[in-house]
Amino acid sequence: MIRRFITRQLRQPLPPARPESDPYARALPKGDLSGGRPAVVRVDGATKQALETGRTRLLVAAVSFTLAFTLIGWRLVDLGLMADQHEPSLARSLSSDALETGRADIVDRNGIVLATTMPTASLYANTQHIRNPQRAAERLAEALPDLSPAHLRAKLASGRSFVWLQRNLTPRQQDRVNRLGIPGLYFQREQRRFYPHGALLPHVVGFTDVDNQGLAGIEQSFDDVLRASAKPLQLSIDLRVQHVLAQELAGAMTEFRAIGAAGVVMDARSGEVLAMVSLPTYDPEKPAAAPADARFNRASLGIYEMGSVFKLFTTAMALDEGIVDLNDGYDVRQPIRVARFTIRDYHPKNRWLSIPEILMYSSNIGTVHMAMDAGTPRQKEFLGRLGLLQPAGVELSEVGQPLVPSPWREINTMTISYGHGLAVSPLQLTSAVAAMINGGTEARATLLKQDPAGAGKGRRVVAAATSEKMRRLMRLVVVKGTGRKANTAGYVVGGKTGTADKPSGGGYARNSRIASFVGAFPMDDPRYVVFAMVDEPKPTKETFGYATGGWVAAPIAGRLIERIGPLLGVAPRGDDNELIEQMLVDIETNAEGRQLASN
Amino acid sequence: MAIDIFLSRRNPELTLRQKFWQLNWGMVLLLCLIAGVGFAMLYSAANGSMTPWASRQMIRFGLGLVLMFTVALIDIRFWFRYAYLIYFAAFALLVAVEVMGTIGMGAQRWIDLGFIRLQPSEMMKVALVLALARYFHGVASEDIGRPTYLILPIMLAVAPAGLVLKQPDLGTAGMLLLAAGAVFFAAGVRWWKFALVIVAGLGAIPIGWQFLHDYQKARVMTFLNPENDPLGAGYHSLQAMIAFGSGAVTGKGFMQGTQSHLNFLPEKQTDFIFTMLAEEFGLVGSLGLLGLYFLVLAYGLAISLRARNQFARVLALGLTTNLFLYVFINMAMVMGMFPVVGVPLPLVSYGGTVLLTVMIAMGLIMSCYIHRDIRISRRGTAEV
Repeated sequence: MIRRFITRQLRQPLPPARPESDPYARALPKGDLSGGRPAVVRVDGATKQALETGRTRLLVAAVSFTLAFTLIGWRLVDLGLMADQHEPSLARSLSSDALETGRADIVDRNGIVLATTMPTASLYANTQHIRNPQRAAERLAEALPDLSPAHLRAKLASGRSFVWLQRNLTPRQQDRVNRLGIPGLYFQREQRRFYPHGALLPHVVGFTDVDNQGLAGIEQSFDDVLRASAKPLQLSIDLRVQHVLAQELAGAMTEFRAIGAAGVVMDARSGEVLAMVSLPTYDPEKPAAAPADARFNRASLGIYEMGSVFKLFTTAMALDEGIVDLNDGYDVRQPIRVARFTIRDYHPKNRWLSIPEILMYSSNIGTVHMAMDAGTPRQKEFLGRLGLLQPAGVELSEVGQPLVPSPWREINTMTISYGHGLAVSPLQLTSAVAAMINGGTEARATLLKQDPAGAGKGRRVVAAATSEKMRRLMRLVVVKGTGRKANTAGYVVGGKTGTADKPSGGGYARNSRIASFVGAFPMDDPRYVVFAMVDEPKPTKETFGYATGGWVAAPIAGRLIERIGPLLGVAPRGDDNELIEQMLVDIETNAEGRQLASN
Repeated sequence: MAIDIFLSRRNPELTLRQKFWQLNWGMVLLLCLIAGVGFAMLYSAANGSMTPWASRQMIRFGLGLVLMFTVALIDIRFWFRYAYLIYFAAFALLVAVEVMGTIGMGAQRWIDLGFIRLQPSEMMKVALVLALARYFHGVASEDIGRPTYLILPIMLAVAPAGLVLKQPDLGTAGMLLLAAGAVFFAAGVRWWKFALVIVAGLGAIPIGWQFLHDYQKARVMTFLNPENDPLGAGYHSLQAMIAFGSGAVTGKGFMQGTQSHLNFLPEKQTDFIFTMLAEEFGLVGSLGLLGLYFLVLAYGLAISLRARNQFARVLALGLTTNLFLYVFINMAMVMGMFPVVGVPLPLVSYGGTVLLTVMIAMGLIMSCYIHRDIRISRRGTAEV
């Protein structure tokens, strides 16, 4: 205010009061009198005031510079000395950004990633920013050949401010689109579930929908766990074994022009599933494109009448209940007639057969005799103990309910003894065989990697002695019986084949059957159980018109064991038949003796 | 001191020899020290090699010193007389860049003269201060209060700033306006007018935001929250701050900085060279350099204070402010206190035009000192 006042006052009485514009007015006071400093004495008010303003302004500038530099200095000290406080927060934010993908990985037993989540970019357009839709569509179609130019043009010319062009681009595709430099194209960051092994194991891992919600397999059954945890979920699957099994099954499926196939490899002691394959399969990243048949899990959800494979359980039951011993036998010359059915043998021997021979030659008549001697309640109880009457306890929602006859009559007891009239899933069957040969303890199927310490501590299912006898019998079948094509040098394979006509209408179809083989190795101390099944194989010239378990499924198991044995660290050994020597001698003597007797 | 008072009292018209001894040798020493820090850092940035940066920077600094002395020794009335001409020459170059400038780094910023790439926007920083200083020299202090007298200088400032903004170079445009503001301030424009401009400027931010390029928006957003895009636009700032943190008090030692030598730091030889210094020489080194700059600025302010004519007073303060803005914006930028706008650290960052511009500005400030007692009439005729 005061300044204003002074200036105004000065301006009026002294209109030409511009001292610096007048050279003479300033010649006198210059410098000298005040010792080099501006001549304050003679300087009029305006000049003095201007000088003072100038000094004030300089002071303000100096103070501002000092304050600004103090701020910089403080920040330097802050960054340099307080580094300990800043760095961890940086590190955390950087790493959490990289890991925050919303859904945990799924890995196999060796840590190989089976399912993972990755950030992706989805391409959309704001068509109002597209200058030339025709040209943009053409160029975009060159960069993304999957998209048709006509389709793109229609979208780009729609005039909408948001239109999806392509979801989940690969980085390479994104780069190509970026290189086009078309204005109006944008990317939306998204999360997407990836299955690096594609169609190798979708029936195990399952898949998710676009919102990353588990819809099948482990993705579904462990949805909550995968969402909540950042730690990968480790499965019992061994990807290498899975690959071999899938390859062998696919080969057999092609060879025999089958409609499907399934297989399981299980750790005999812990019940861990090392491989589980169902064919045909599908790409879990495009589940919607897969037919229902491909999505169907034949290994856990499918239930089948397994045929002769079941004779193992009948034999084990008869041995375990003390009804027979290995040296006992039955006369199998007469077919068994029940109501309107007649039970015959495929390879009639027309003589008395010992228990090992009944299994070796897969005699229906002998097996039915064993079951009848045991009786319905004991059969039912024994099969229940093996877990064949309840769904498999595996961690999947795709688990088949076994088809158990109700009521369970005598005729059912008879047919079930050789594998008809009771339908179970391959997983149930494999589990039951594992329990039967591992020394007799339950081996509940699991898809999660188990602590090795807990293996073999399950509930007792059969006596250790029974288990030991069953190993020898299974070895016998592979060395001398129907399972010879599963024999693999060095791995002491044992097993049992099965060929079952598929139910059709009220009866059984003649030419559509299930060929299967269940086995284990090495039989002197079984580590792994394998199961292979081919759905509706057609006979070929090479199999001399046969499409049975022995010709179709046993070779799969043989080749499989030959390949996975070394992978799983099972040391090959000399192929002595110590296990079954005595049985072989007995069989020889029996056969001779009976022949003599009948003569 | 006594001798120059004596000389000025007797005869402000000095001989060339006298002028030479009047040069601010303390300031020259400071500038050499700062440039020396720059050479060391450029040597380190090239992993212990004079090529490609350190040697060329040395040659340019030598050239700059000669230029600075020449400018300082030329009579201030010469600069006063040709202030407008210089301004219009620089303005013409700016227009030329717009019309025929080569495109580099996505922005049209320089004219390739063959031996040097001329950045007219840098030269404009000096030319604008010169022109404004001349203008305000010719306005009586009581007239400065009249808004009509401010129309011309505002146009002088806004026209080049607008051209630079169009290049687009947000940082330089902002610096031009701030330096112009400092000249207005030094000339005695009233406080409330600054307040008005600041309020209006703040009000214009939402409107101006829409005219920014996407990368400019990203830089501002990143400045506000660098951690939301650590691998994208926030990369510069985060890596720089890691460098500061890892330098601690004494630093990792010359040529031992991992952020820069492992190429985590982008543009380490230009805009982000201060982070290298902080990493390798720690707090001691960075505060030391800050101190050197502060002394140079103090010299500039003192010269402004000692000047007896309005032109020199305003010119010295304007150019000092300009230097201050370089230093402050660059340091604030690399320390995450300011958006990344591409302002180099004067005399230290690698770059020819900026170095020469700063040396010319220093020469002008020295010229203000040597000719501090010369009086200049409103019309530009000298008086004794």
